[in-house]
Amino acid sequence: MFEYTFQWRQAFRALPQMLEGALVTMQISLLSMALGITIAVLLAVGRNSRSVWLRAPATAWVEVARNTPALFQIYMAHFGLGSFGIYLSPFVALLAGITFNNAGYLCETFRGALRAIPDTQMRAGRSLGMGQAKAFRLIVAPQMFRIAFLPTTNQMVWAILMTSLGVTVGMNTDLTGVTQALNSRTFRTFELFALAGVVYYCIAKAVMLGARLLAWRLFRY
Amino acid sequence: MKFIKFTGALVAAALVAPAASADKLDDIIASGTLRCAVVLDFPPMGSRDANNEPIGFDVDYCNDLAKALDVTAEIVETPFPDRIPALVSGRADVGIASTSDTLERARTVGFTIPYFAFTFNVVTNADAGLQTYEDLADRTVGSVAGTYEAIRLEEDIKKWDKGGSFRSYQSQADVFLALSQGQIDATTVTSTVASAIVQGGKYEGLSMTGEAPYDVDYVGLIALRQEYGLLNYLDLFVNQQVRTGRYQELYEQYIGGDAPRLTVDKVYY
Repeated sequence: MFEYTFQWRQAFRALPQMLEGALVTMQISLLSMALGITIAVLLAVGRNSRSVWLRAPATAWVEVARNTPALFQIYMAHFGLGSFGIYLSPFVALLAGITFNNAGYLCETFRGALRAIPDTQMRAGRSLGMGQAKAFRLIVAPQMFRIAFLPTTNQMVWAILMTSLGVTVGMNTDLTGVTQALNSRTFRTFELFALAGVVYYCIAKAVMLGARLLAWRLFRY
Repeated sequence: MKFIKFTGALVAAALVAPAASADKLDDIIASGTLRCAVVLDFPPMGSRDANNEPIGFDVDYCNDLAKALDVTAEIVETPFPDRIPALVSGRADVGIASTSDTLERARTVGFTIPYFAFTFNVVTNADAGLQTYEDLADRTVGSVAGTYEAIRLEEDIKKWDKGGSFRSYQSQADVFLALSQGQIDATTVTSTVASAIVQGGKYEGLSMTGEAPYDVDYVGLIALRQEYGLLNYLDLFVNQQVRTGRYQELYEQYIGGDAPRLTVDKVYY
């Protein structure tokens, strides 16, 4: 049974503070995506490498990132490393946790995209006199990013939603952190979290819409 | 014959018809179970013993209340931020969870008269070199999200504006873990928790560094705001606990010494 009278005015008055929190949420997720993509490309190359010294660490990263909960990864970045005297602030711990997780998933996205590109593309580049790195950069990578573009935007939405796990390590400036603080003051749990949910939904939708527009702009013939 | 039929129909209707809308107090008595939302991360008010059984002042208050109602007590473990959702969603009937009776919260939830009163201490990492509450101004501090002391500490850090920062954690255990690791320099907690933690020796390097200059924090039992029958009953229960000496008895058992007064001078609660 649900016995509750909604008081939306109080929640709407908190909206400006929550939107400030949403900016921090966006900041963390964009940063984690930028770092995650960079690391993921390196991991994807490592996983496709013939050298075991490159393949083993890349495989280990992906295995741990994909098969343990994101919450655990963020918690370990803050309290786990803290046990060894390495102190990451809640912001950095959250960023590190999400980036670690993101890189693992994105690596598989990029690896799949790499496999979708025929070997002949690289050989064609080499036959034009390009070195391996240059052929990868100019011929293979653009095709890889094109194939991986939409799955990557899905991961961006996932990164935005994962920032909400920051409350477990003391993060109180992102959207969930701000909402939690407001909730503890007023006990207007449902209105505040419903509003936060709408803000998360709008951000996620805006990101997807933006990504589709960008894809249409970038990839049309 | 008509009369017999009519009476029969009336009896049948009385047997199958739903009971007239009963209030929460009636529901609890009828169900035979009192579900209390209790924070079990807040010794000595609520915690778990070696057998993982709930113990503490709040747990005993729940048992006393159940006994008074002649029902069985059920402890619903509830973190601090989830006390109201537990009531609203119907997971718990009453919150016996050291809830500070702020006017802002009273807009949402019904409070009883105070059943306990807290004062506060600063607990620091011994390496941080802090002496007074004001020394926290430029430090990284933290407390449990949703508690009175967390709200006060965050307000003061903002007010001082000397480069200090505040972090809110989800449980008291996380705060002490962060403190013992040196991730934060200090926290403010109720004097009851402070002495329990520092003397308990579970976390290394923690020490009490004087009082936090907050007003006495009166805490009430909580129930849904519109449940006047239940709230009236709970008020009388708190009153009876004090006048029968049970409040003092439990205070001595869990904290020691004289239990704090639950009245405010020059005002009728």
